Amino acid sequence: MESFFVRYRNLVVLLALLVAQILGLAMQVRRSSGGQTADGNSVQLIRLWANSIVSPPERALHSSGSGISGLWNNYVDLRHVRQRNAELQKTVDRLRLEQAALLEDAKQGQRLQALLKFQQKYIYKTVAAQAIGTSGTDQSRVFYIDKGKDEGIDRDMAVITADGIVGKIRDVFPHTSQVLAINDQSSGAGVILESTRIRGILRGNGAGQPQIEDVIRDQRIKAGENVLTAGGDQIFPRGLPVGVVDRVLNDPDRDGFVEVIVKPAAHLDQLDEVLVVTSTEPRFPPDQQQDIATSEALKGAEAEQQKTSEGMAEKLPGLIDPSLPADQQPLKDTSNPNPVSRPPVAVHPDRFTPGNATTPNVPAAPESNQGSPATDQNAPKKKPVVPKPATNQPAANPPATPQGENR
Amino acid sequence: MSVLSAESRRDFEIHRYPVLIYALVPIAALVLQAWLPRVMGRFAWFDLPLVVTVFFALSRRNPIQGSILGGAMGIFEDALTGHAIGINGIAKTLVGYLAASVGVLVNVENHAIRLVLTFLLSLVGSATYFFVVRFLLGMSIDSNWLAELYKAIGNSLIALVLFPVLDRTKIRD
Repeated sequence: MESFFVRYRNLVVLLALLVAQILGLAMQVRRSSGGQTADGNSVQLIRLWANSIVSPPERALHSSGSGISGLWNNYVDLRHVRQRNAELQKTVDRLRLEQAALLEDAKQGQRLQALLKFQQKYIYKTVAAQAIGTSGTDQSRVFYIDKGKDEGIDRDMAVITADGIVGKIRDVFPHTSQVLAINDQSSGAGVILESTRIRGILRGNGAGQPQIEDVIRDQRIKAGENVLTAGGDQIFPRGLPVGVVDRVLNDPDRDGFVEVIVKPAAHLDQLDEVLVVTSTEPRFPPDQQQDIATSEALKGAEAEQQKTSEGMAEKLPGLIDPSLPADQQPLKDTSNPNPVSRPPVAVHPDRFTPGNATTPNVPAAPESNQGSPATDQNAPKKKPVVPKPATNQPAANPPATPQGENR
Repeated sequence: MSVLSAESRRDFEIHRYPVLIYALVPIAALVLQAWLPRVMGRFAWFDLPLVVTVFFALSRRNPIQGSILGGAMGIFEDALTGHAIGINGIAKTLVGYLAASVGVLVNVENHAIRLVLTFLLSLVGSATYFFVVRFLLGMSIDSNWLAELYKAIGNSLIALVLFPVLDRTKIRD
């Protein structure tokens, strides 16, 4: 018997455990079927033990940052947040770059638009160019543009912007050109003050500011006065804006002369796009060219018509009898602005009076007495026909010009 | 060449662990089993007390110890439920016994054998549970065998990871 338990002890223990638990289950089931909903003391004790063992770690997990779930979720979220943050940071950086590029493009577009508008309106032929480099030193105020001989650029061509003049072409290369800015000391441009009409030569000073030299001291020169190109240097077309007078300084070398410091109209330090005036032949837009052609055609037709009228007038008999005074013309046509003038009728004719040479001794009766009663009535009003100058003709006729209407 | 008897081979291959492991790992399994389903919801396809029972039963190769451990784990699980105590106890007692009994016969160091054993013993445990509930207690139960299959797969995967980790804590002679 003993050997049986020893030999099958594992199985016996298993059966014992199973039977014990089945009995326990049976007791619990019997208790619940008997109407008692509460567990027995032993079962309650087991539940208490189990709860006492499991609850503290659970509470600890729950209290420590919502437990492992919170840690796990936070970890996952944090990892995602970091990744998302990195992605967002990249997006922000990319958007900033794009925004800067777009802003730059927009600014360039506005500049080009203004330049194009100016170029279209400008009367001379120009070539747009981009500033691509500088001399690299402050002492030399030259810069390079991306257009050269192949694009029709040549030396001494004016370089301008919509704001004002910039400089002139100094050297030309096949695809680039060197521009000498107006604030360089070796530059020179003929300029004129807009209101005072004082002329001078504009060149740069040591500080890189353009100034007008060889100007006699004049109290009328004030700051803020516009400076324009004079057009006498054969480089810059006449009337282009140069800048405004910034201040007037006495010339230290010559008494009675002043140096007019000019604030340039063009942004010489921030040049991007410029125009090179390649031809000073006036270039009109199509509509203006059409207007000019129409005007010239009208002028030619009018001249032709006048010429024809004169020819016809010579050939046809005149409606105006040159031997009669104006008020006795058959048609009383006074439209002729230049009627043939007759000598005035003498009040006391003598032998020298025209038409009275045959009766020099007989006092001729006044011509008024020889006329009709109607004529007599008009005798006091009779006045010699004096040709009126052509300039008075509009006064005789109602003015038809817009200026006359405005008056 | 000396031939080891079954008893001596079993003694030679018995794994021993620190007492702390014996105490903490089952408790941790019970705590996590009570807590993780709250986090994972219906996707808690695992039974950590069963996995721990299988592990110690296979390692100890002692059916009595395996039965007792399984029974204790099951009773604790039952104690945390509102059901009668003993349902899981019976199931895990049987699982512990079978695991220890099989562990004597096979090489428990092999991960594939551990994986298959855990999978099969999980199904045995589920079957036992349903048997007890349905036939011993006469209670109705929603027998979703697909969920039990998922649970067995989950237990196997956990065992695949957990067993090597716990192996590192065994006392080496």
